[in-house]
Amino acid sequence: MTTLQPAHEPSLTFDFRPTLQENRLKGLWQMMSDYRMSYIAATIALAISALSKTFTYLLLQFFADDVLAKGTYIGGTLTTSMIWIAAGFVGLASLEGAFAFLSGRLAAYTAEGITRRLRDFLFDHIQRLNFSYHATTPTGDLIERVTSDVDALRRFFSEQAIGVGRIILLFVINFIAIYNLNAELAWVSIVVIPLILVVSLWFFKKVTKAYEEYQAQEAVLSTTLQENLTGVRVVKAFARQDYEKKKFEKDNWGKYLKGKILLFMHSMFWPLSDIVLGFQMLFGFVYGATMAIDGEITVGTYIAYVGLVVWLIWPIRNLGRIIVSTSTGMVSYARLMELVKQQREPLFDGKYQPTGPARGELQFEDVSFMYSDGKSDVLKSVSFHAKPGQAIALLGSTGSGKTSLVNLLPRFHEYTGGRILLDGVELKDYSRSYLRKQIGIVEQEPFLFSRSIRENISYGVGRDVSQEEIERAAKAAAVHDVIIGFPDGYDTLVGEKGVTLSGGQKQRVAIARTLLKNPSILIFDDSTSAVDTETEAEIRSALNELMQNRTTFIIAHRIQSVMIADLILVLDKGEVVQMGTHAELLKDTNGMYRRIYDIQTKIDSELEMEIARVN
Amino acid sequence: MSDELIELEEEEFTSQLTAPVLKRIGGLLLPHWKWVVGFFFTIAIVSGLDAYFTYVNKQFIDEGILLGDKVRLMELATIYGSFIVLQAAAVFTFIYLAGVLGERIQYDLRKMLFNHLQDLSLSYYAQNAVGRLIARVTSDTGRVSDLLTWGIVDTTWAAMNIISSTIFMAIINWRLALIVLTIIPVMAYVAIEFRKKILAEFRVSRRANSKITGAFNESFQGVRVTKALGREDANTHEFQGLTTKMYNASYRAAWLSALFLPTVQIIAALALGIIVGYGGNQISVGLMTIGGIQAFVSYLTFMMWPIQDLARVYAEMQHSIASAERIFKLVDTPPEVHNRSGAIEAKTLLGEIEFDHVDFFYEDRKSVLTDFTLKVNPGEMIALVGPTGGGKSTIVNLLCRFYEPSKGVIRINGVDYMDYKLESIHNKIGIVLQTPHLFSGTVRDNIRYGRLEASDAEVVEAAKIAGAHDFIVTLEKGYEQNVGESGNLLSVGQKQLISLARAVLAKPELFIMDEATSSVDTLTESLIQRGMEALMKGRTSFVIAHRLSTIRRANRILVIEDGHIAEGGTHAELLRKRGHYYRLYTQQFRHQLEVAYGVVDEDAPVEGIEGESREGVTADSIMLKREKVAEEPTAAD
Repeated sequence: MTTLQPAHEPSLTFDFRPTLQENRLKGLWQMMSDYRMSYIAATIALAISALSKTFTYLLLQFFADDVLAKGTYIGGTLTTSMIWIAAGFVGLASLEGAFAFLSGRLAAYTAEGITRRLRDFLFDHIQRLNFSYHATTPTGDLIERVTSDVDALRRFFSEQAIGVGRIILLFVINFIAIYNLNAELAWVSIVVIPLILVVSLWFFKKVTKAYEEYQAQEAVLSTTLQENLTGVRVVKAFARQDYEKKKFEKDNWGKYLKGKILLFMHSMFWPLSDIVLGFQMLFGFVYGATMAIDGEITVGTYIAYVGLVVWLIWPIRNLGRIIVSTSTGMVSYARLMELVKQQREPLFDGKYQPTGPARGELQFEDVSFMYSDGKSDVLKSVSFHAKPGQAIALLGSTGSGKTSLVNLLPRFHEYTGGRILLDGVELKDYSRSYLRKQIGIVEQEPFLFSRSIRENISYGVGRDVSQEEIERAAKAAAVHDVIIGFPDGYDTLVGEKGVTLSGGQKQRVAIARTLLKNPSILIFDDSTSAVDTETEAEIRSALNELMQNRTTFIIAHRIQSVMIADLILVLDKGEVVQMGTHAELLKDTNGMYRRIYDIQTKIDSELEMEIARVN
Repeated sequence: MSDELIELEEEEFTSQLTAPVLKRIGGLLLPHWKWVVGFFFTIAIVSGLDAYFTYVNKQFIDEGILLGDKVRLMELATIYGSFIVLQAAAVFTFIYLAGVLGERIQYDLRKMLFNHLQDLSLSYYAQNAVGRLIARVTSDTGRVSDLLTWGIVDTTWAAMNIISSTIFMAIINWRLALIVLTIIPVMAYVAIEFRKKILAEFRVSRRANSKITGAFNESFQGVRVTKALGREDANTHEFQGLTTKMYNASYRAAWLSALFLPTVQIIAALALGIIVGYGGNQISVGLMTIGGIQAFVSYLTFMMWPIQDLARVYAEMQHSIASAERIFKLVDTPPEVHNRSGAIEAKTLLGEIEFDHVDFFYEDRKSVLTDFTLKVNPGEMIALVGPTGGGKSTIVNLLCRFYEPSKGVIRINGVDYMDYKLESIHNKIGIVLQTPHLFSGTVRDNIRYGRLEASDAEVVEAAKIAGAHDFIVTLEKGYEQNVGESGNLLSVGQKQLISLARAVLAKPELFIMDEATSSVDTLTESLIQRGMEALMKGRTSFVIAHRLSTIRRANRILVIEDGHIAEGGTHAELLRKRGHYYRLYTQQFRHQLEVAYGVVDEDAPVEGIEGESREGVTADSIMLKREKVAEEPTAAD
């Protein structure tokens, strides 16, 4: 058998799946591909900037020792030397500034670039995950990952990683510079560094915990506030204002106390580390000054040392803070990778790739289906034959398997037994993409997007649609008059910022959407109950329009919805218990169809009786 | 509008500092003036010492090293060392004082706002989205307290640092100090302009960010449609438009931030160049020392920090003031419904209740209720039916005096109810809403909300009457079960039963039920019916409902449409008329029979009728329904 080359998924975005790594740091490094050079360049620029600063102090040394003490003039006189030195200062500062900017810009380019393609990827990836994943994952959880976790990674690249690099670079460069001035001085300047590093790591871990507690209390307070404000009618109805005030007071005071603890920790750490680092500095100054007096180092060396040592010591204090905060980025990486490694639904894989539209002949042969948890059959040996253009009705109560049956057609789920043939070819040989183009679905409560009605109608077409075409579809779907009744007509926004459509109106917009899509096979969920007669007539006329020349599956609870069908399947517990036309099924007086029919007749007569009783 | 969008929108507002606002903001600090004085002085000490350390370094060089004076060196080191300790003590003090005061001011503001919100009328809540009110209590208070504490700290530190540095520079060499003085305003101006630009760019990017979140949300919710229509590529393409906007804005904000400090620093370096060039020449004539040059280098290098702080406080101050104004505006809003002077205690609500030509309109003057007249006898049960927005809830809100009539009078026992004390009316009302509102806490806490001093036995009794007891005891922890945030761990039906029990416990004289049991299953509904009937006996009740059994029981049924009574009478009278009520009733009746026979799903949306209502009509049909349920598999369809 020859395997047809499957069409490739369009690579709209950078694919993050190959970046999956068990080791988080390795994974983050993988994630940076294409941006590594710019990140490395950012680090180099940072180094140049730091070096320029260091050279500023070395220039000061040159000025003190060579120009002033030894009288080595540049350009002959003191004045010309001073001009050169001043120009040197300005030049070095400009160099320092320019490279600091360059580094910042490159880091931003990297972080924002990675974030953008990560967002693009996640958006694309998630909508391609299979149905069961979406059915079992709460929207809130997904949102949390694509917002907070993505932002934590952005901060990792834009602030944390480069921040650690900056402090280490400053330390290394300035240590080497001081070491070159005088090795002894260099060693005495970093005596407390290990201590301060360990203490700051310890402190920031503690403070992060205290901060989390503070935020947890803030969340408690917010909940109390939110519940009070949304339940204002209850509070007022029971005259519970004082009670509420007391409750809020408790949470409010609790937050104050938690804040106090946090501030106490800060107010201890910073001055204590100030003392330690301050005395370290002072120790270096006295040590250096003594050496200078004893002639072991020059005055210029001392001056350069005083400038350099500041950049050696103080940044270390922040290293602890940044290192602790990187753990957030690591956790977020892991959380995002859980999402990235989920299996996608292959859209384009299929052995059979027809070029034209399907005719719409469907044959179910002994089809069964169960969910992957494998507990029980949702569908059991379903067999029937739908000719192109026929209307097939599925009648049955909730849980009988109607929706599961039609979900097999666009391969939202895969049947687990038997086979389904479309135009004589097994469904599994078609690509999902092809099938979904052939099938139109009108749900009972269709989902509309919060954009204009026009865009909602033309949503699935994938080409530019003229206003005329849209109106024709809307008219056929009996919703045109409703739409032009809105202030902005077809440009009216649906949802929160625009109009709220009733269920019937939504369904008719969905019918218009499906008409434009022009599928060969139609699935229509007609299980809406108790629609007033006027709306019902409108939906029915729209539906008749839609059913023209299409194989149609109607899901219904009611006899009146299924009467016109060419074939009615009565489902019960996943099995087809009866099959035939309305007239045929009615003949079986013991059948389920007949029972449902009788109940409906009974309802009509009961209603008559009820009205008669009061008269 | 999402809370995030509200916050973004409000952040756009800026306000200039005016004398009255300044006075009021200052008033917030007044009770804590000792704290303010405390951190003001300690931060000033910290800042002054920062400048002084640089000066001591100069003395190390000029008086110690150059003169070879080790004694002087140790003297200076001792001073330096003791000042390190002093500064650390000051740092401790100002962080603690300013930080704790900040928390305290937030606490004060939140308390003030919350307490005032409790007193405001329902109309205020109708006009102000909850998200906005929450932003008032959370972010606005934070912004104001930041301005009052860290804002003052940063400004004081920066100003003090600039002043003391300049003084020390003037001591070293006043001519060179003058050069620095001229450059400071330039640096400050550039810094402020930068800050404003950066702030604006950040807002653009946050706005883009909230759009991205919205797109994600919609994509997850509409994933079925996307798949069915094969829209994946088009969606991703559209989404890339959003991320590109976001990218542009945040990249711009980021590189502007990166440009900010280097620019300020280069300006400082220009001044430094002049000073070094000029100062170096003066060394030879003895007007300048090498230590002096070193000090100038230090002062100018670190001058960017106070400048940056000043710019930040200044740029953010305008937004903080706008926050303060919003807070004050809320606190200044008087409650629309309040006790009149000389209001008397309402002894009982069990008397004739009369709506006398009552009109009601909101501030936009759009009429909600027109010329509404109704007399209700004590103990009567009134059912209100009709479409959404017809005015049913307004009638109930007026009755509870959540609102007061715009025109006309409502009388209880022949007295205009505005002459009664509010609390004395509210005390005697029991209200159960369709969207039941519970609070975090246990089931017992929630029921007891109806009467705080009720005993445990009374709580259980109320739960039994409301038909809630049976399901409560099946909960893992029974009455001690936590209901979750806003009761979200319970189903809507369960929440309705608990809120019913809460109202029962309150032993009200006037009962108001707004679709109170719409989500309770039919079996339970029939079980609680008897208890409720007993309870309503001898009490006046208003019921908004769709359940036919509830409506039929009413003494009178009013069909409310477009703010007036379209039809009124008993069930039989109205059916005979074959008008509004007849149409509503037949549709409803057909639906509930279909549900009862299991023809349609109980959860199927009901078109054309407000809310959802479902019910079994007769005992037979309930039995039939139960049989059906027993037969049916529960697998997802």
